[in-house]
Amino acid sequence: MARYFAIRIGRAMITIALVVTFAFVVLRLSGDPALIIMGPEAPPEVIAAFRKAWGLDDPIWMQYFDYFGAIAKGELGRSMRDGRPAIALVLERIPATLTLTIPALLLKLAIGIPGGIFAALHRGSLIDRAVMIGAVAGFTVPSFVLGLVLVLIFAVQLGWLPSGGQETWRHAILPVFTLGIGGAAVLARFTRSAMLEVLGQSYIRTASAKGVSWRAVVLSHALPNAAIPTVTIIGFMVGTLIAGAVVVESVFSWPGVGRLLVVAVANRDLAVVQCILLLVAATMVTSNLIVDFLYGFLDPRLRSREAAGAH
Amino acid sequence: MADLSLPGSTAAKRTISWPRIPPVVAVAILWVVAMLVVAILAEAIAPYGVTKMDLRNRLSAPGNAAHWLGTDELGRDVLSRLIFSIRISFLIAFGATAISAIVGTLLGFLAAHFRGLAEQAVLMLADFQASMPFLILALAVLAFFGSSLPLLIGLMGLYGWERYARIARGLAVSATGQGYASAVRQLGAAPSRIYLRHILPNIASTLIVSMTLVFPEVILLESGLSFLGLGVQPPMTSLGNMVGYGREYIGSAPWIMLTPAAIITLTTLAVSLIGDWLRDKLDPTLA
Repeated sequence: MARYFAIRIGRAMITIALVVTFAFVVLRLSGDPALIIMGPEAPPEVIAAFRKAWGLDDPIWMQYFDYFGAIAKGELGRSMRDGRPAIALVLERIPATLTLTIPALLLKLAIGIPGGIFAALHRGSLIDRAVMIGAVAGFTVPSFVLGLVLVLIFAVQLGWLPSGGQETWRHAILPVFTLGIGGAAVLARFTRSAMLEVLGQSYIRTASAKGVSWRAVVLSHALPNAAIPTVTIIGFMVGTLIAGAVVVESVFSWPGVGRLLVVAVANRDLAVVQCILLLVAATMVTSNLIVDFLYGFLDPRLRSREAAGAH
Repeated sequence: MADLSLPGSTAAKRTISWPRIPPVVAVAILWVVAMLVVAILAEAIAPYGVTKMDLRNRLSAPGNAAHWLGTDELGRDVLSRLIFSIRISFLIAFGATAISAIVGTLLGFLAAHFRGLAEQAVLMLADFQASMPFLILALAVLAFFGSSLPLLIGLMGLYGWERYARIARGLAVSATGQGYASAVRQLGAAPSRIYLRHILPNIASTLIVSMTLVFPEVILLESGLSFLGLGVQPPMTSLGNMVGYGREYIGSAPWIMLTPAAIITLTTLAVSLIGDWLRDKLDPTLA
């Protein structure tokens, strides 16, 4: 068990190290970081001070380790635009993003999981077909198209809801639905196939054959086993709570992390972009780690297999 | 993923019965072919240039004799812009899908051939790519380098490589154990010949199915970036650009945004349908 967790934690650390390396390589490849971060108009003495502070005159491998050190200490640079620490700018946008992504996640779970289970239990029924069609639509309709069509219907034509901004709770309805509907369809399709896979197993047939009621078979044999793959995709959704609304926030002019990222990329405000990149990586890695831990508890086979494979 | 059939039976499986194409898939194929023809013949069929302005016909609605799909606020013909947008979006999607298929397959083969450290490195990179949202990585690269068409194609070409790499590695490892690969090896064929001439044709159908699954995702990704104004840059135009630009006029001239949005949706839908059908036909082992 300890070994299982140790391997997972090790992998998480490697992923974070790869993201930091990615940021370092991209930053070095794109030109002189001093000029890029401080801007071309910065006076030479400022550039020289920056080069000294960041050790840009050191050999490249030393710079690489210093870069790790700086990030470990939370020194993520300052925004080129208003000179404030990048991390502060990013952190103050997080609540706005979570206001959209958490209700959207709940919506996905509330529609997707029951929808998928129902579709699997009533294979070929009207609801099953609706789930499958919805899943295809959820994949093929881009979120900005869905968002704009909702705006066209509910804001422009009907005038029921505002088309953008963040003033009241009513402003959040369209973006939350835009985020939630597509994800619900994907989750429903995933849950459906996980359920179908489990329902085809021999232990389900055995349980039915020995006279267990269908209800009990579903509740105590099928659902717990189907939960295991479903947890993976939910974990991925939790991981995208911060980064998953980039496009939708832009459609609805919602002042969250995604909107900040788009503006920062357009202005090439690199410290802010780098900070968001690392934050997203940390969120993804953490949620993956939690999923792996949950696996360890949900699926005892995984632990023993890991232990068996250890020799 | 392992091929459980006997070595001799693969040839028999390969003779696909072509005639029975379901009507939905036939329509999807026709749609994709039509889009391809439009993309290739763009200059010949577009009634106007991309930036040609007709100032007397600004924001005119579709159905107009001179402008079938209407015009935007500068009087530019929506149909002509749509045709050139289809060309750019398809160019990026095809270029990117080809790059990622080649890079991914190559890395997968390298991992299968050298095993050991090379294999671990490829698998680690694949895990990394799968665990990070690609949009965020792409945005970071665009922030550092700025946007240009070759960069955009190359960047999109990094999307999905890990799937080909995993498939190619897995299938190559199992193929190496099969009779035909060791037979050619003992005849003295070089590794490159074994992989490219013997193993690649045997796993091509699986790779093609993966391409049809990655292709629509690339279209969605590119149109998303262009919608945000960070992908294809004016005066060039792509489907995502048109939607992003048309949203300013969603109240007064919704057709500017709705036509490219419909093309994106129908194209991703068509390619996905073809991909699903091909998967059922060629390789039921792919989930």
